[in-house]
Amino acid sequence: MDFALTEEQEFFKKIITDTVDRLIVPKAREIDEKEEFPRELWREFTGLGYLGLRYPEEIGGMNADPVTAMIFYEQLARGSVGFAQSVIMNALMGTYFIYRFGTEEIKKRCLYPAMRGEKIATMCFTEDQSGSDLAATRTRAEKDGSDWVLNGTKMWITNGPIADIATVLATTDMAKGAKGLNFFLVEKGTPGFSPGQVLDKLGCRGTVTGELVFDNVRIPAENLLGTEVNKGVEYLSEILDEVRTMTGAMALGIAQAAYDEGLDYARKRVAFGKTIGSYQLIRAKFADMATEMEASRLMVYYAAWRIKEKLSCRKEAAMAKMFATETCLKVVDEVTRIWGANAFAHEYNPQRYFRDARFLLYGGGTHEIIKDFLGRMIIGKH
Amino acid sequence: MNIVVLVKQIPDPEALVAIGGDGVSLAIEPKFAMNVFDEFAIEEALRIKARHTGKVRVIALGSGKAIEVLRTGIAMGADEALLLEDEAFLDGDGYATAFVLSRAIAQEPFDIILCGRQAIDDDRGEVGQMVAQFLGLPHVGGIVKLDVTDGRAVAEVAVEGGQETVEVPLPALFTAQKGLNEPRVPLITGVMKAMKAQIARLTAADLGLAPAQAGRSGAKVKVVQYSLPKKKPAVQIISGEPREAAMEAVRILMDVEKVF
Repeated sequence: MDFALTEEQEFFKKIITDTVDRLIVPKAREIDEKEEFPRELWREFTGLGYLGLRYPEEIGGMNADPVTAMIFYEQLARGSVGFAQSVIMNALMGTYFIYRFGTEEIKKRCLYPAMRGEKIATMCFTEDQSGSDLAATRTRAEKDGSDWVLNGTKMWITNGPIADIATVLATTDMAKGAKGLNFFLVEKGTPGFSPGQVLDKLGCRGTVTGELVFDNVRIPAENLLGTEVNKGVEYLSEILDEVRTMTGAMALGIAQAAYDEGLDYARKRVAFGKTIGSYQLIRAKFADMATEMEASRLMVYYAAWRIKEKLSCRKEAAMAKMFATETCLKVVDEVTRIWGANAFAHEYNPQRYFRDARFLLYGGGTHEIIKDFLGRMIIGKH
Repeated sequence: MNIVVLVKQIPDPEALVAIGGDGVSLAIEPKFAMNVFDEFAIEEALRIKARHTGKVRVIALGSGKAIEVLRTGIAMGADEALLLEDEAFLDGDGYATAFVLSRAIAQEPFDIILCGRQAIDDDRGEVGQMVAQFLGLPHVGGIVKLDVTDGRAVAEVAVEGGQETVEVPLPALFTAQKGLNEPRVPLITGVMKAMKAQIARLTAADLGLAPAQAGRSGAKVKVVQYSLPKKKPAVQIISGEPREAAMEAVRILMDVEKVF
C-alpha cells in the first residue's frame, strides 16, 4: 500500500494552494455578497491555464491524473465554492463530451477557447421534473433531415445563464427511458436557445445558476456528441465516478476552510479566562472533525486513485461523495457552534461555509439516491 | 545577463513552533513556504531577464524538502535550480550559510545576485551581505527599484522619510524589500515544467569544502537558548467615574508601572 502523493503531486498541491490563497480567498466574501459571476477573477485565474488541467498537453492541457485533478477541485472549493463550481463545470463536465466526441472544427470553436477561459461551458442535465432520474428527461431531440431540433427547458444549470457552450442531455424517444438519451452541443447565438430565470440560491452565490430554454433549436448532425445515437448514458458513465469523487473533494475543501477558521478561533477566543480550545467539549469537537475529515480524505483520494488505475469505482466514488459531504455538513455546523453567535453574523465566514456546504447534498446525486444505489449493489436484486 | 537568486525555504507563517526540551532546538510543524522577500527577488530577476535576456539560476541550501521552493522558482520562470544538500550544511548560522552559498555561486559566471533582505523565520537579515563580502562584491540592501544598463545598476532604497538612489558596478548583490514588485502567480505551463524539472544537487565535497567549514561546525554564532516572550498580564479595568478612573490610571502608571 502506498498513501503518499508523488513529489510532483505534492508540488502541484503547494502551488495550487498558494494560488488559491492569493487570488481566490481574498475575494471569496465579495463573490458571495455580490452574487454575480466574478468576471475579473475568472480572467485572472483562467489565464493561468488551469481549465485544461485534465486534457492532453498536445492541445494545451496538463494531462493531470485524477489524483492531481482532485487536489485541484479540493483547493478551489476551499477558496470559494461559488467560484469553484464555475471553474469545475468548465474544466470537467462542460467540456468533456466536446473533447471526447467533437469534430476538430468544434474543438477549435468551442473546446480550446473554453480551456483558455474565453468561452464559458456548461452541461445541462436537470429539468424541473428530473435530476437524478435521468430517464425522465423531457427535453426532446428530433431528427429533421441531417439536423437535430431540440425542444425543452433545463433547470439548475451551473453557468447556464452566462454559458457560451452547452452540452445538453435530450431524449430521442421518451419511451426508451435512459436508453433514449444523448448529448448535444448547443452554442450561444443559436436561434431558439436562450437563458431563462436566474435562481436566487442559499449558497454558492458566486455561481450563476438557472434555466435554459430550447425552443426549436436547430443544430447540425456533428453536434450530436457521440459516435452512436442513444448511447448518452454509456458515455456519461465515463465521467460519473470522477464527477462524484470531485463533489467529495469539494466537500473536503469546504470542510477544511471551515475547520481552519474554527481552529484559529478556538486558539484565540477567551472565555472564563482561558482560550476556548482548552475546554474538553471544544477539544472533542476537533478530535471528531479531524478524524472524520481524515477518513473522508482517504476515501476521496482512494476513489481518485482507483479512477487513475482504471479500476471499477462506482461504489467507492458514491461512498466517498456521500461520506465526505456528510462530514463537511457536520464540520460546518460544528464550526458555527465553536464561533458562537459570531457565526450568525454575515461579517464572518462560518455562515458562508454553512450555506455553501448544502449544495453538496444535491450535486453529484442526492444521498437518498446514492444510498438506494449502494444498498441495491450490496444486497443485490431480490 | 546571468542572474542568481538565493532562496530560502522557511516554516509556513502559520506553522506551530515550540521550543524543544533542550532549550536550543525548535520543534516546527512541517509546513513550509518560500520566504516572501525571496519571491520579490525571483520576480525581479525574471523581469531583468525579460528586458535583457540571459539566465536565471535559483539556489537554495537545505534538506530535500527545500526542493519545493526551487520548483516554485522554475514554475515562476527561472531557468535552472540548484539545491545545496548535505548533512554538513545543516544548523549553520548566517556566516556558514553565506560561505557555502558563495562557493556555489562562484562556480558559474554571473552579473547579478538577488536575494530577500531577510528571512522571515529568524529575521537576521545577514546572509545577503555576507555573500557579497565573501565574493568581494558591492551590496545594496533593501532595494525597492532596480535598473540595469551597461554593466552598471541603479537601485532605489527606502530610507527614513525618503528614497536613496545608488549606483554600483556589476557584478553586485541586491537584497529585495517589499515594494520592489508584485511576484507573479505561476502559469500552469511553468508548473508543469517545474514538476518535471530535474533539480541539480551539490554536496560539501562537490564544492570542495570540508565538513568543518559548513553548517553547525562552520558557524560563528551558536544558539544558547530560546525563550518565549513574557506573558502579558491580563487587562485591568478601572471602574468608577471617568475623572476618578483617569486619576487612578495615572497613579498606576506613575507609582506601580513607573513609566514616568
